[in-house]
Amino acid sequence: MSYLEYVIGAYAVFALYLAWDFWAPRLRLSRTRREIAARARREAARAATAAGKEPSA
Amino acid sequence: MSAVSAWSTARAQARRDLQLVWRRRGDAAQPLLFTVMVVALFPMALGAEPNQLARIAPAVLWVAVLLAGLLTLDSLYRSDVEDGSLEQMLLAPVPLAWLLLVRVLVHWATTALPLVLVSPLLAEFLYLPRELLPVLLVSLALGTPLLSLLGAVVAALTVGIRRSGMLLALLALPLFLPVLVFGAGSVMAAAQGLSSWAGALLLLGAGLALALVLAPLAAAAAIRIALS
Amino acid sequence: MNRLLLWFHQLGSPPVFDRFAARWTPWGFGLGLVGMAIGLYGALFVVPADYQQGDSFRILYIHVPAAWMSLMVYALMAVYAAIALIWHIKLCEVLAMACAPIGAWFTAVTLATGSIWGRPMWGTWWDWDPRLTSELVLLFLYLGVIGLNAAIEDRRAAARAAGFLAIVGVVLLPIIRYSVEWWNSLHQGATIRMFGEDAMDPSMKWPLWVMIIATKAWFVGSLLQRARADNLAREAGKDWARAAAGVEK
Repeated sequence: MSYLEYVIGAYAVFALYLAWDFWAPRLRLSRTRREIAARARREAARAATAAGKEPSA
Repeated sequence: MSAVSAWSTARAQARRDLQLVWRRRGDAAQPLLFTVMVVALFPMALGAEPNQLARIAPAVLWVAVLLAGLLTLDSLYRSDVEDGSLEQMLLAPVPLAWLLLVRVLVHWATTALPLVLVSPLLAEFLYLPRELLPVLLVSLALGTPLLSLLGAVVAALTVGIRRSGMLLALLALPLFLPVLVFGAGSVMAAAQGLSSWAGALLLLGAGLALALVLAPLAAAAAIRIALS
Repeated sequence: MNRLLLWFHQLGSPPVFDRFAARWTPWGFGLGLVGMAIGLYGALFVVPADYQQGDSFRILYIHVPAAWMSLMVYALMAVYAAIALIWHIKLCEVLAMACAPIGAWFTAVTLATGSIWGRPMWGTWWDWDPRLTSELVLLFLYLGVIGLNAAIEDRRAAARAAGFLAIVGVVLLPIIRYSVEWWNSLHQGATIRMFGEDAMDPSMKWPLWVMIIATKAWFVGSLLQRARADNLAREAGKDWARAAAGVEK
């Protein structure tokens, strides 16, 4: 009986898992970095408009 | 003000819980009706052939009681979280674990004990052989408080989450598994004529003894974590 | 205070951990990959075919390490959770929650490879073998921890509650395992399912050991990477996080 398909299947499952385990956290890390940068920009913009409005308030 | 002792607080807690259940006694009948309905589902689905039903009877009864227990877990702490009484219990001069033990026992007596008492009738619906009835009753009498105690720990973790019913069920089921295996398994072993049914019941008893001490402590720790 | 203790304390600080994880993650992944390449090459091409099971037993070289990892990661998760709950160390909360998805995936791989291996052995994809059934329950325990962590909004409270659940699970795990084996002896009768790994010739064992070490190294890399991402996300408002994200002042 040829076990080849089963062996290939099992090894493929493992390889897929390794790939996912490698990439998913990296994607999350880069998304977190982008979110931090976006948040910093929003807060800087908010501070700038507040400072700009102060004299006329 | 009368002196506070463990016994007086236990009585007060038990009286309060029983009064609350009595005021909503219609609701308290729901686990019973649910179990009866679930048991009735199986002949509906499988057909009414007595031998077939008799073979699966212990398993169906156990699963029905277990599922009913899962559904009632949410009511263990829900109303007290919503009106702040749970935080008052945290501040009580007696250990929270003691109050929780009383709470769980009252909860078991009002939700699961009726099921155990009605189980002979349900066993008749499924043509369970009469000789197996004592083993079934003992397994349920030992297993249902164990389920309530284990469930109390898991329910304590989800106390702060809204609409956590399904999550609670998913978290509790793996922990319920050994109780189901030994509970239903004891009856199945007796049905097959094996002597291991006694060992399974003893294991349930040992588990119950441990859980009576450890589960309230774990549940108290879990409530502190969940409410922090 | 000696230097090791000082380093250990400093590691608990989020920015220090971020740098530590950034430095050592590639090592974990690299060593893991190299080890797996060696081990799997040996498993596929060097080791002779088993006289009873043919070539399908080569799946064992993935199945067994994955099963070991699924159990080890659960125990480690419970240890981190216990440290976090007793000593209130924030980093251990992060590490415990980062363990959960990795362990869940290893459990899934164990189940999948066990099922694929069982297909030629048993004729069906699933057989309620006691070991695989216990792995299935372990998967549910992992998913419970992950689900509870996701269900609570406050990240610290979520990690503590899910960590507590992990500890409860690790205490009950031997009981669950024993109950499944008892159930199996009750219902399956005398048929013994042997995977035969204990009866392996020593010359066939070396790829197994290589794989076990390699998966541990991979786990370290993956854990550090996930913990780093979670750490950064939790500290998103802090200055060091902005610096790490490359935001200019």
